[in-house]
Amino acid sequence: MGRIATAVSVFGELLITAGLVLGLFVVYSLWWTNVLADRKADQQGDKVRDTWAHENRGPGALDTGDGIGFLHVPAMKNGEVLVEKGTSSKILNDGVAGYYTDPVKSALPTSGKTGNFSLAAHRDGHGAQFHNIDKIKKGDPIVFETKDKWYVYKAYAVLPETSKYNVKVLSAIPKESGKKKAGHYITLTTCTPVFTSRYRYVVWGELVRTEKVDSDRTPPKELG
Amino acid sequence: MYGWIWRHLPGNAWAKALVSLLLVVAVVYVLFQYVFPWAEPLLPFNDVTVDNQ
Repeated sequence: MGRIATAVSVFGELLITAGLVLGLFVVYSLWWTNVLADRKADQQGDKVRDTWAHENRGPGALDTGDGIGFLHVPAMKNGEVLVEKGTSSKILNDGVAGYYTDPVKSALPTSGKTGNFSLAAHRDGHGAQFHNIDKIKKGDPIVFETKDKWYVYKAYAVLPETSKYNVKVLSAIPKESGKKKAGHYITLTTCTPVFTSRYRYVVWGELVRTEKVDSDRTPPKELG
Repeated sequence: MYGWIWRHLPGNAWAKALVSLLLVVAVVYVLFQYVFPWAEPLLPFNDVTVDNQ
């Protein structure tokens, strides 16, 4: 083979290799990260449930190092989602939802005060906990479970596409959702459209009622 | 490139095939364990939060 022919063939092989590596990256993003994240989320979720079962701390006591509770959204058909503090990728990559500490500090439902309980989770890969966020319709229940209480929210507004810089959606009174008065709100954010991060998808809910957790942890009727 | 690697692997065709397979597994392992986790945050596919930056 001449030198030019060799160079062309090596170049071709490099292109094929690049294609294979990109293909592997897709496999990694959409499958392997889910495997890792589901494993992590299960472990951490079990740990939280164990702590709840065995430790008798005062009501409302928070161990923010671990999860603070579980989010149940029947419309997303993904079971329970552990909620932890913070929205850095290190936290969200464990297949959990994180509540915002930055740029707008989330209010916690357990505090009992008015405000906005704002959460983020992955749309694809890393557990993809908010993958089906577009299945949530107005009126659907969003339930947050803590050690002592069920917080039953109802979705009342959806913003299917907004800028990633739109931090106002996290405000204590999210005006874009149509609210003008302080209340107990919940905000779910993730990226949209699927497989990209061009825009953000936002769902707002409002607290309907709370229910005490009984000894069997019987879920509220919305989860039945 | 691949032809060159193949020619420089020791043994008969079976031994070469086995070593090739191990090399492929090693490369995939390094990619999944080190390269992809490093590359992923640099790519705009999975940012889910609203942010000021």
